[in-house]
Amino acid sequence: MAVKKEDKFPVARRYQIADVQVSREATAVKPQVVVNLIKKAKHPVLITGGQLLKDEKLVEIAVKFYEKGIPIIATGGSSKPLIEKGVKPQSVVFTLHQVTQFLLDEEWKGFDGKGNYDLVLFMGFLPYYLSRMLSALKHFSKITTVALEEFYQPHAKFSFTNLTANKDMYYSMLEEIVNNL
Amino acid sequence: MAFELREGIFAIDEMRNVSIKIGKVIEEAEEWAEEMGPTPKPGIIELRKWDMKLLERYEPFYAPVQDFCNLCTMGPCDLSQNKKGACGIDLKTAKARLVTIACCIGAASHGGHARHLLDHLIEELGEDYPIDLGGNVNVEAPIIRTVVGIRPRTLGDLREAMEWAERELMRVLHATHIGNEESYLDYESKAMHISMVDHVVMEIADIAQIVAYNMPKAEPNVPLTDTGFGIVDKNKPVIVVVGHNVLYSKPILDYLEEMGRLDDFEIAGLCCTAHDMTRVSGGRAKIFGPISYQLRVIRSGIPDVMISDEQCIRADLLQACKAMGIPLIATSDAAARGLPDASDWPVEKIVNALVSGELPGVFLPVPEKVGQVAPLVAEAIFKKHGGNRKYRFFANDEELWNEINKCTQCMSCVFTCPHNLRIDQGMAHAQKTKDLSKLAKLEEQCIACGKCEQACPKNIKIINVIMASNFDRLYNKKGKMRVGRGPIQDTEIRNVGQPIVMGQIPGVIAAVGCVNYPDEAKSLREILEEFVKRRYIVVTSGCHAMTLGMITDEEGQTLYEKTPGDFDAGGLANVGSCVANSHIAGAAIKIANIFAMRPLRGNYAEIADYVLNRVGAVGFSWGPYSHKAAAIATGFNRLGVPVVVGPHGAKYRRAYLGKYFKKEKWWVYDIKTRSKVPIEPAPDALLVAVETKEEAIVQLARLCIRPNDTSLGRQIKLTHYLELSQKYLGKLPDDWHLFVRSEADLPLKMKDELLHILESEYGWKIDWDKKKILEGPIRKYDAGFNPTIVEEVYEKYAGEKPPQ
Ligand code: SF4
Ligand code: SF4
Ligand code: SF4
Repeated sequence: MAVKKEDKFPVARRYQIADVQVSREATAVKPQVVVNLIKKAKHPVLITGGQLLKDEKLVEIAVKFYEKGIPIIATGGSSKPLIEKGVKPQSVVFTLHQVTQFLLDEEWKGFDGKGNYDLVLFMGFLPYYLSRMLSALKHFSKITTVALEEFYQPHAKFSFTNLTANKDMYYSMLEEIVNNL
Repeated sequence: MAFELREGIFAIDEMRNVSIKIGKVIEEAEEWAEEMGPTPKPGIIELRKWDMKLLERYEPFYAPVQDFCNLCTMGPCDLSQNKKGACGIDLKTAKARLVTIACCIGAASHGGHARHLLDHLIEELGEDYPIDLGGNVNVEAPIIRTVVGIRPRTLGDLREAMEWAERELMRVLHATHIGNEESYLDYESKAMHISMVDHVVMEIADIAQIVAYNMPKAEPNVPLTDTGFGIVDKNKPVIVVVGHNVLYSKPILDYLEEMGRLDDFEIAGLCCTAHDMTRVSGGRAKIFGPISYQLRVIRSGIPDVMISDEQCIRADLLQACKAMGIPLIATSDAAARGLPDASDWPVEKIVNALVSGELPGVFLPVPEKVGQVAPLVAEAIFKKHGGNRKYRFFANDEELWNEINKCTQCMSCVFTCPHNLRIDQGMAHAQKTKDLSKLAKLEEQCIACGKCEQACPKNIKIINVIMASNFDRLYNKKGKMRVGRGPIQDTEIRNVGQPIVMGQIPGVIAAVGCVNYPDEAKSLREILEEFVKRRYIVVTSGCHAMTLGMITDEEGQTLYEKTPGDFDAGGLANVGSCVANSHIAGAAIKIANIFAMRPLRGNYAEIADYVLNRVGAVGFSWGPYSHKAAAIATGFNRLGVPVVVGPHGAKYRRAYLGKYFKKEKWWVYDIKTRSKVPIEPAPDALLVAVETKEEAIVQLARLCIRPNDTSLGRQIKLTHYLELSQKYLGKLPDDWHLFVRSEADLPLKMKDELLHILESEYGWKIDWDKKKILEGPIRKYDAGFNPTIVEEVYEKYAGEKPPQ
């Protein structure tokens, strides 16, 4: 089910009412925008989080990203179900905290040695943990961050809107991205 | 003529018209032979060089919670994208300052507690009251020895350390004023300094209370004590204490004991006061639960009187108690709660005011009076209801369902809950199916903070709904916690020192801190059980220790009931309350001293360098939230001990994270070969937040690796690291090859397979006849390897300047 223009699109409600900053808030984006961002990117990567251990559907979607050629950095133990489905993550042992520290370093060559990533997609994280990492990337790097989460993430450059009231819509938006890559 | 004699031995023959003032008399036999090291009573910049060594490798990482500052009237200032404020400070430095302030608050809390206890105990017992921690502890006060450079023998001696600590607190706080530091690194150094001070004051507080109150003295076989809601006999008057300073609640036990009435009352505690009550009473007091149980306990209506002291207590405690008709006695001058000071009132007047409901509470900072008032109030209130406590979150089922049915699934609660718990889904499920199980499940994770209730437009008593939904399990919860043992014995250190430093005991995991767990509390047990089974040494304290005492397995047993309390492989040692954390840092220091004979006195950098390179200890805080936890962790970091925190720990804003790819940062001086050697990135972080229990387990095992491991030690550590990574991450970790120095480091069972991988994936050269690695590792293994990153330590042992 693609989200059509005429569909009612939920408002972007911050995952935490008090996580307020003065600088920019994420642009709430529909799937096609994410598709375009990925297509334009030189070195994109998907980072998956520990919530994949609790949500099989997210595993399925991550596998599809991988099959479409988006490399995966697996954190929080998300590597286990992904590997079982044939994914070879670029790294499995580093935490999102560490990966973010690496991303902040312009000299880092990425896990694949091809240079730092320019577009980073995030999927399957505890919202408050991801939020802090997005804040670090917002203030101290030029990387384009995209939160593909159920909760709207204000500190990303781009984020899905708040989809907590409609999980089907969340999944279908993810599907729409992978289907159009 | 007048002159002053300070410390030392003097011979005086004949003098006239001389007045002599004697500073401090030390008997010759007791003179401390250890030579004074380079940094006794260090000032705020004396250990800066050491800090910079750490910060160079473990680069501070900032994750701002706010990108603005409003600390002064030139602001508010927008610091986003690392912009500077009107005063010139940039975002990173502003965050580092905030972290420094948080660590100051933490250190001041333990320090205020220590000062209060110390002054009170000296008044009661005298300055000369001896510090005797039992026959098995000769290196008492290892932190004070190392940092302050004194060997305290009496309560009076502790004052000297206390005075130094207070001075340093003033200095570090001064540095946080507008217009001081310019570099975030300098703020980090100051945060480390004040956090080292924090460890000193924790040691003062715990030593003072152990000796004065005769708490267990380094005893591994301390008794088990009851924990949980289910242990409270609701047919007796119930006195509940909450907080961190046992000074005020101990007199209740003393008074009742004196009256021979201890058995007529239930005394149960929340948080560290509960810990310490069980330590003073030999296990006779009980533990309701950790700090997140405050509203659970109050709203259950069980307490007949509530006694609060200090730290981590709800700032709306009075209001919460008042709503339930529970009289409150606030005791600490750090939290007088707006209540009238009843210090001078006669006991009867206080009791009457509280029992009649004329006053909802009183401020009573007189410990002995608290001891008398609390039982009288509890008894009178109990008489009123006669043990027939009707209130159980809701008077009846109908009330509960009325609340549930009010929910419109607006989700305002979800967007304010620290865990984003899906209360809406629990309510909707209950409305549709009459099944409370989804709501009941929330109880396992809810910290009862109350934020959701304020957000709810329907004014639903959400906490009560959650608690009532899991009522039977919560109300009948019973467990056992091993009472806090205090310090680690010298003999235990003698036994485990070598295997820890060589690596045969794969590591020490210290689970400490608060209750902001990212997951159901039972995950804490699951994580630690993995390490107990693998024969790591597991130590615990504070709310983590209490939580462990409440999680039972299918056989109804807690981890304490299944493991010995020794500081040894496979043991689970509970040291006690927050301030007892000092014994964990102390154990690391004692390994350097007792096993390796490194002198402690005023010798901090050498000891921390020793710990960083050799002692495979890792701190673990699954649910940290307090400022004290920030200081404790940062203090461990300065001592060379990495700390893994749960995901909420990312909100401390700052981490210390090394980068494996910065090869130039991973080096040590090797005193044996007189050279500078590249090393493996071990440990590669000093403070890192993990997201899940799976990730926590693997990181803890990983961060136990140290450059000094012997081949056998490294082999054992790698065996666990690799096995755990395969088990929880689905494959070998990405960086295992970095830790291989020779074929002898490889786990035996996987040796061939790993050699093949090293050859095919990493391009290493292998001699297959001999199964030897010819080329590939960062460095070769050398049995006499003697690493340090401190130039002065190198010079001291090598007798020459370090190589360039
Ligand atoms: S302290 Fe500095 S950054 Fe903060 S409000 Fe004042 S001028 Fe602005
Ligand atoms: S009381 Fe429990 S459910 Fe409510 S906001 Fe706090 S943690 Fe969440
Ligand atoms: S805020 Fe109140 S009404 Fe809204 S979902 Fe939560 S409990 Fe229901």
